[in-house]
Amino acid sequence: MLRRLPLAVLLAVGVWLVLRPVYNPALVWVTQGVARLVEYPRATVITVDGSYAIIGRSDLRADSGRLKSSLTQVHFNIVPFLALCFAFRGALRGGGWRRLGGAMGVLVGSHVLTLFLQVKAFFAFNLGPWSAVNYSNFERNLIGGARYFFDIPVTFALPLILWVASYPDRVLALVGLVPAEDASS
Amino acid sequence: MGRVKQMLASPAGRFMARYALILSAGFLILALKPVNDRVVDPYTTFVAHEARFALNLLGESARVDGQVLSSPRFAVQIYNGCNGLEAILVFVAGVLAFPAPWPRRLVGVVLGVLAIQVVNTIRVVSLFYIGIFKPQWFAVSHVFIWQSLIILVGVVLWLVWVQRYAPVPATR
Repeated sequence: MLRRLPLAVLLAVGVWLVLRPVYNPALVWVTQGVARLVEYPRATVITVDGSYAIIGRSDLRADSGRLKSSLTQVHFNIVPFLALCFAFRGALRGGGWRRLGGAMGVLVGSHVLTLFLQVKAFFAFNLGPWSAVNYSNFERNLIGGARYFFDIPVTFALPLILWVASYPDRVLALVGLVPAEDASS
Repeated sequence: MGRVKQMLASPAGRFMARYALILSAGFLILALKPVNDRVVDPYTTFVAHEARFALNLLGESARVDGQVLSSPRFAVQIYNGCNGLEAILVFVAGVLAFPAPWPRRLVGVVLGVLAIQVVNTIRVVSLFYIGIFKPQWFAVSHVFIWQSLIILVGVVLWLVWVQRYAPVPATR
C-alpha cells in the first residue's frame, strides 16, 4: 500500500484538478442555498472568483465589506482522502465505488458546512455595527467554535476517518489488527 | 449498546474507539484559549525559529518577530494550522491508541514528532523560497500541496511505525 501511495497521490491530484472547475461553483451555489435557507431576509451572496469565494450581502451597501475566501483551503482534503483510497489495490472493485461515493458525500457535506461557517463568521464578526446588532455574544462564540472545528479538526482528520470507515477491514489488516484474509471485502 | 460492547471486545474495535477519543480530546484541548495562548502560540513561534535557523544555514538573513518569519526578500506569517500540530496529533493519537508495548509507543511518539517537525521545517523553508522565486505558486503550494502532504506524512509515519516497530499478531 505504501509503495503505491506516490502514484495514488498523483492520481488523486489529477482527479481533483479535473473536478475543481465544476466543484468550485457547485460548492458555492449549494452553500449560498443553505445560507439563505436559514436567514431572513435571504441576502447572502457568494460568487466565485477563480479559486476564491467572494462573500457578501445583497441588503448592505455596495461598498460594504466583502470576504475573499480560498475554496482550495476548503476542499484540498479530497486529495489525501482519494490518495489513501487509491493506494489500495482494487479500491473501486466490489462495493468500492459505493463506499467511495458515500465517503465523498460526507466530505462534500463537510465542505458545504465549512464554507457556510466561514460565511456566518464573516457576518457575525467582520461587518462592524451590523454584526453587533444582528449577532449576540453567545451566537458569536457558537459560530467561532464551530468554525474552528470545521476549519482545523474536520479538514485535517476527516480524510483519515473516512478512509478507515470506507475500508475498515483493509486498514485494520494493514496494521495487523485483523487477519489479512478478512480484508478482501 | 450490544453492538458497541461487541465492537469494544475486539482489539480493532478498542483501537478505533481509543483513536477517536484521543483525537477528539486532542483537538478540543488545543482549541481552549489558555492552551492556545500558553502552548500553541509559543509552539508556532518555535516553528518560526526552527525555520529561521534553517534559512540562515542556507544563507538567508532571516529573523523572527512573533510568528512572522522575514528576510529582506520575503516575509511570511505562520498561523495555527501551518505549524504541523494537526499532523502531530493525527500521528500521536494513532500511536497512543495502538495496542503496542508502552516503551515502543513512547519511542514512536518522540521519533514521529521529531520527523514531523523536520518535514514541517522543510515545508516552511520551501514555501519561503517559493515566495521569493515563484510568488504566483505560493498559494497553491501552501494550501494544496503542502497541507495534503502533511496529512499524508502523519498517516505514513504511523503506518511505518505500526508495521516495522510495533507489530501485533493478527487477532480477532
